[in-house]
Amino acid sequence: MSGSANKSSGWLVWAAFALPVVLLVLSLNLGSYPIPLKAVWTTLTHGSAAGPAAAPSPYADILFRVRLPRLLLALFAGAALAVSGASLQALFQNPLVFEFSLGISYGAAFGAALSLVFLGRGFPPQLAAFAMAVLAVLLVVVIAGRSASGIVPILLSGIIVSALFQALLSLVEFMANPYALQALIFWLMGSLSQAAWGDLTLTLPVIGLGVVVLVLLRWRMNVLSLGDDEARALGVNVRREKALVIAVATLITAAATSVTGVINWVGLVIPHLVRMAVGADNRKVIPLSAAFGASLLIVADDIARSAASFEIPIGILTSVVGIPFFIVLLKRSGRVWR
Amino acid sequence: MKLRVENLVFAYEDFRLEVGPLVFPDARVTSVVGPNGAGKSTFLKCVASVLPAPAKTLFVDGRDLTLLRGRDRAKLVAYVPQEPSFTFNYAVLDFVLTGRAAFLPTFGAPSSHDIGLAEEALRYVGLDGHIRRSFLELSSGERRLVLIARALAQESDVLLLDEPTSFLDPRHEVETMALCRRLADGKGKTIVVTLHNLEMAAKYSDVMVFMKNGRVVASGPPRETLSEPLLRDVYNLDMRIVECAGQMFFAK
Repeated sequence: MSGSANKSSGWLVWAAFALPVVLLVLSLNLGSYPIPLKAVWTTLTHGSAAGPAAAPSPYADILFRVRLPRLLLALFAGAALAVSGASLQALFQNPLVFEFSLGISYGAAFGAALSLVFLGRGFPPQLAAFAMAVLAVLLVVVIAGRSASGIVPILLSGIIVSALFQALLSLVEFMANPYALQALIFWLMGSLSQAAWGDLTLTLPVIGLGVVVLVLLRWRMNVLSLGDDEARALGVNVRREKALVIAVATLITAAATSVTGVINWVGLVIPHLVRMAVGADNRKVIPLSAAFGASLLIVADDIARSAASFEIPIGILTSVVGIPFFIVLLKRSGRVWR
Repeated sequence: MKLRVENLVFAYEDFRLEVGPLVFPDARVTSVVGPNGAGKSTFLKCVASVLPAPAKTLFVDGRDLTLLRGRDRAKLVAYVPQEPSFTFNYAVLDFVLTGRAAFLPTFGAPSSHDIGLAEEALRYVGLDGHIRRSFLELSSGERRLVLIARALAQESDVLLLDEPTSFLDPRHEVETMALCRRLADGKGKTIVVTLHNLEMAAKYSDVMVFMKNGRVVASGPPRETLSEPLLRDVYNLDMRIVECAGQMFFAK
């Protein structure tokens, strides 16, 4: 690669990574109680130096207990969903695969719902979400069998498994008491409003570590996306490396879903958008998907809590915006996949 | 490096491949020919580990390929498929760089050394002006050359090419086979190539291997091995061998 091309793509990556951080800081002033940006900055710098309890500003409680955890969750969950989608698409050689089409979303949602309704807060919903998400992927791979890299078999298997876990989720809803049911339904629509430091201390490190692992595997995904036979002939331990990518992608999706509920389309739209901008090379697609996925979810959350007098569930918002956007993308993305 | 096959057996459904003992000589072009379904591609895939081969059946300079780790085997043997079935449209250079997978750790990415080798491989096959183009924009002939460039970037001494001339026009067919010849003569590569075009095989090969129903029925230098009864036996078709300007032609 030429030096100038490397430099320009390097700047693009740095600019892309600065975007969610800038958006996060700007978003801290948005909400039902607007806080001037200067006050945001003063509170953040004083608060982070002396701890939230010692923050001298009346805004500290809103910023540290409500908005910062919520926006950090948006940043990490957006990165997780987009990176997971991009990785799974490369791995299955299938541009239409994402966490929803592999049953991961509803598997994780069922696991988390099961935990919330029957096991109570004592059992981490992340664990149950991950276990069920892994089960969902395994079921999809087993049902698709040897055709797992084919677009139609994998999508059909994903639809079957998603339907199974949706049915199981309905069963949990049916058996839940009215109070738990109300909370469960709101959570399933996707929301960041429940973000609390208690959940985030487990979720954010898991997502952060998982995203870093997938970013480090980004070039290997170019090789794996050539198909099992070619990757094996090129010297790759296909079984081990595919298992690693699937496990990490499932883990971060499950970790995000267990706190945010079901948020669809981020894992499909963002990788496609990135591929249209920079091409199919996963060395760029994976990190840029992380940056733009994080940015998208921060902006979506800003809209969700600012557009109306009530909060719009973010899962509904990403679907309403994501579906027509994806239709446009499909018509224009033929040059980066076939 | 010479490739040695010892009683290789691979079976699926009602097909059974049985090859060996057979030696593919060092720095020579060996063509594997035979009718459709003879097992030519299956044989190459077994050597490339795309399909599983039993232990102690494949050796490169005495090293048992079947006992080596994937990355060590890929450093000895490179496989060039007929047409890659990938979904994403990579740039030519990025595609050739995948040939460096065996040399890089799981969490690694190509260095400037790897990029230099990929660019050199593309220069060798005459595609250095196409580095930034996307693979799917290329013609069939150019795609075959990119696949060969990737095998060169893999730095393996044994190159297995599965029907590299199929669907190519005569000019690209000749260019591809001439490239195989140069790789053997100039770079000392051991070339094993499956072919349907007997004229090309006879002209560019040092050794021809004839396969039928999963078995090798004859092998040796083209002029010593080729005969009308052999062609009738292998292809179930009467063919005449005609010589013109020192080249063999096959009239059907």
